[in-house]
Amino acid sequence: MNKIWIVAVKEWTDGFRDRRSLYTLLISALFGPLMIGFMFSQIASQQKGAQEIKIPVVGRQHAPVLVNWLTQQSGVEVIDGPADPEAAVRDRKSDFVLVIEKEFAEKFRDSRPAPVQVVSDVTSQSTRSKVSRLNHLLNGFSSEMGGMRLMARGVSPVIVSALKVEQIDIATSQQRAAMIFNFIPMFLVISLFTAGMPIASDSTAGERERGSLEPLLLNPIPRWQLVTGKWMAAMGAALLGMLLTLTVTLVMLSRLALEELGIRNHVGTGQLILLLAATAPMALLAPAVQMFVSCFAKSFKEAQSYLGLLMIAPTIPGIAAVFYPLTNRPWLHPIPVLGQYAMVTEILGGKAPAPIAMIGATLTAVILTALLLNLATRLFTSEKIIFGR
Amino acid sequence: MIHAKNLNKQFGDFIAVDNVSFSAPDGAVTGLLGPNGAGKTTSLRMIYGLMKPGGGSVEIDGIDMVAKPLEAQKRIGVLPDLSGLYPRLTAREHIVYYGQLQGIEKAELNRRIAHWVEILDLSGIIDRRVAGFSHGERTKVALARAIVHNPQNILLDEPTNGLDVMSTRAVRELIRHLRAEGRCVVFSSHVMQEVSALCDRIVVMGRGKVVAEGTPEELLALTGMTSLEDAFVSLVGPHGEAA
Repeated sequence: MNKIWIVAVKEWTDGFRDRRSLYTLLISALFGPLMIGFMFSQIASQQKGAQEIKIPVVGRQHAPVLVNWLTQQSGVEVIDGPADPEAAVRDRKSDFVLVIEKEFAEKFRDSRPAPVQVVSDVTSQSTRSKVSRLNHLLNGFSSEMGGMRLMARGVSPVIVSALKVEQIDIATSQQRAAMIFNFIPMFLVISLFTAGMPIASDSTAGERERGSLEPLLLNPIPRWQLVTGKWMAAMGAALLGMLLTLTVTLVMLSRLALEELGIRNHVGTGQLILLLAATAPMALLAPAVQMFVSCFAKSFKEAQSYLGLLMIAPTIPGIAAVFYPLTNRPWLHPIPVLGQYAMVTEILGGKAPAPIAMIGATLTAVILTALLLNLATRLFTSEKIIFGR
Repeated sequence: MIHAKNLNKQFGDFIAVDNVSFSAPDGAVTGLLGPNGAGKTTSLRMIYGLMKPGGGSVEIDGIDMVAKPLEAQKRIGVLPDLSGLYPRLTAREHIVYYGQLQGIEKAELNRRIAHWVEILDLSGIIDRRVAGFSHGERTKVALARAIVHNPQNILLDEPTNGLDVMSTRAVRELIRHLRAEGRCVVFSSHVMQEVSALCDRIVVMGRGKVVAEGTPEELLALTGMTSLEDAFVSLVGPHGEAA
């Protein structure tokens, strides 16, 4: 045990003196959370923008009633519209323009449908929510006026409503916000892979490249202890990277007003422990896979290019999981990576995975790790690996 | 004390080492002399136990290397053909790492490091990272690291290869120092002068075979030559092929 520790400490010291590996760790830990934060704040600002809108109106003198009504709605400000509404929208000078036509006053007085135009660009994602808010306001005005006219004629406005539609609002912004949440497990797993990578490859392929493996193997330490020590150092770095990502993510989530986006933030101390317990098995397995793969490389660079390809493995299901959430599929839990995605998604959604799922996931990771370390130990006794440079 | 008996090693069709036997006694320097590709490095690798012999046996102080590698390896210190240092560690950290792996306790380890710093003249560089070291400085660090556990037997693979005059002198002095302490030193070289300057016994290798073995005087007598260089050429042939 003592010698495993000596090896781990040496690899850890050596690894963290390498600026490259430190930067990799920091960038990988910060990239994911910052990107999530950026996406959330984009959506939040869009939604906020939709609630507080400025409506450029052309021809407001034709419809003082409508303009007054609009001004009384909360978060609405009416401003003068541009001379050429269509050109203004096309050039993105205005998000949209409300045009009130000349005959509005006359038709409105005669209780006929009074024409207004909403000029907007449907292909523009960012203005969509504002336009729909405007349409919502116009519909509100329309039905309010219609109701008043019916009442003036002694008819209850209720009879024009054949349906009572209750809006269960899953607005697109909420959907998108929820989707962003699904990125979190992927960024956690990726940070763990990137953080463990420099030590995993330097302590194996790098050791071969420098020719330092040969004298190292002459020390009286069993090969499995040597391999385990190196793996422990890589695992420490992977855990550190994951913890950093998790911390930054959680701090960021607590700063964002998620409730405004219709998302309940479930993450407390209990969830934090669950998240760690769910992801930690990958911190065992990922460095073991990386070490095993790196053993076949003759140089640090060669190993890095193999491990770069290896990164695709957790990324593809990660992206897929964003669009097809992996919840409620317990058979996924013991599968490395997929299991972690499923469990992290569940925990962030306020559900604790079943203990048996956590145990199953940990057990498969431990078994695979032991198997890979065993294979790596065998490679460390192979003459081709020791002397092949 | 090292005994190599009937060592064989084959890579595919190529016979790298062919029935090599020799002994290296304590308190003496044994030189493995031969042209490049003669099988010196492969023989040494089998002797220090990282390469499995195709046939034959190796005994270190009477301990069989194949049967008890960890025990036998404790009794040897090896400087392989590449020094193999870690650029981001200091010279001292290199020696401490191996010392710890050898199970030497801290106070004793510090005492030994102080000893080697003095003998190898490392005081100016001991706490610097090895990244910027010269070839000679690297070799010295690798040497100190290789013998930190005070092994009885020391194997050096071309230790003076590419060294400048001062470093070469330092390595030679170290080898003499180790011999004076009664240790068994084996070193390989393809440089005649190196071997004749240091060795008590010479094992001449060519094409994977031992072509002659003995003291320098014995080799001269064997070949009937007056200089060791002529003796060497007559033993391995003018193009390095074994006679």
